[in-house]
Amino acid sequence: MKTHLLALCLGSMVAFSANANAGTLENLERERSMTIKTFLDSSLTVDERQAKLDSQRRRLVDLERIVMRDKALRGQNTKTVHVAFKNYDVTFLGHASAEKGHTMVDHWLGQFGVSTNNLMATRVGNR
Amino acid sequence: MSELPLLINRTSPKRLALILGGVFVAGVVLIGGTSVAISAPAWQPQSSERLVKLPPSYLKKSIDHDFARSELGTAIQKSEENISLKGNTLGDLQKAIDTADGEVRGELRHQFLSEKRNYLSMMSDRNDLRRKHLRTKKRLFDDMLSRLSQESGAMTPEREELIELQKAASERFESSLAKVDQRLFEVSDLDESKYSKQYSQNKTAIEQLVSRIDHHSMNETPMSENGVQMSREEHVRRMVADVQTELAVLDQEETILGYMAKLVALDAMSMAEEGMDAELLDSDVASNTLTPANNVSFFLNN
Repeated sequence: MKTHLLALCLGSMVAFSANANAGTLENLERERSMTIKTFLDSSLTVDERQAKLDSQRRRLVDLERIVMRDKALRGQNTKTVHVAFKNYDVTFLGHASAEKGHTMVDHWLGQFGVSTNNLMATRVGNR
Repeated sequence: MSELPLLINRTSPKRLALILGGVFVAGVVLIGGTSVAISAPAWQPQSSERLVKLPPSYLKKSIDHDFARSELGTAIQKSEENISLKGNTLGDLQKAIDTADGEVRGELRHQFLSEKRNYLSMMSDRNDLRRKHLRTKKRLFDDMLSRLSQESGAMTPEREELIELQKAASERFESSLAKVDQRLFEVSDLDESKYSKQYSQNKTAIEQLVSRIDHHSMNETPMSENGVQMSREEHVRRMVADVQTELAVLDQEETILGYMAKLVALDAMSMAEEGMDAELLDSDVASNTLTPANNVSFFLNN
């Protein structure tokens, strides 16, 4: 019983320390995934989605600034960091969308070749 | 036959153990004393991370200060003081020789020669210590250079590409900051975020501190003779070159000392020859200047 408790404590300590040591980039990725989840959440009404996105964008912008100012990431040649900086428009979604004057969802979809015009030009049919 | 076997025969085992123990302790003390006498003064600086990161202007002073406090530094200083005193002695003797004559002059010349030999020996010892100092210093700078090249040497093509990407991202980011802020306030009625507020407050403080650091006298970038800024690595390399110059000069000084020693030896030979000549003049040994031709008149008349 004692051994189990000790293992549990150690496990939770490791998990906690891993969480505490999560990098700025990982935090940004997490927040962005929550934002994308909001884009795609069909249970929300338009107003609810907008209100939620406004608040998320504020947090996203802050986290993007934290990442950009994080000196520990300078020259940190890991795959995550490399991919993140190679795809500025996706990683720094809040800034890139505001810079281009797009909404975040439009900008995000635009990065994968999906635009409002493309969507409007589609029609339902059998393949 | 030595007396030890007799001693062993006569003494009790307890006393014998005591004697042998005493001999052992004396031996240990003797060996310890010898090793202390043999151990030369040392200076062991370490090329630490802290040393590598010291401001260039402070680096040299820090190393010199560390050396001055070391055993080797103290030994060189003491040796130079002794050499200076010896130089004064030689000067005094030289003046005394100029004014003296006769036997006193000869005696003073002998003393002068002996003091010159001591002076050369002291100079040679001092140069050995100086060489040790310079070699240690060079090793320290070499270590520092390898540390510095390790820091910059990890630059792979991938890393270079990443740094370029980050630089481009940072430029784009900075140029869009005002636009992003404007858009955020336009669209939502939320206040400025806590991070944003605190960041702008801290940024002002950081900028003031950075400006003070940039203009601090101890943080000045080292300059070359022609006013070109030098990197930390270039500065250390320059110091290595200085040490190598000093070592070359030291080699030259050794040559001078060699010539001085040769002159002392020649002077000694010359004085010995002078002494032998004087002895020969005083001796009763007939000179071989008498030839049969000088006394031919004895045989010409009856």
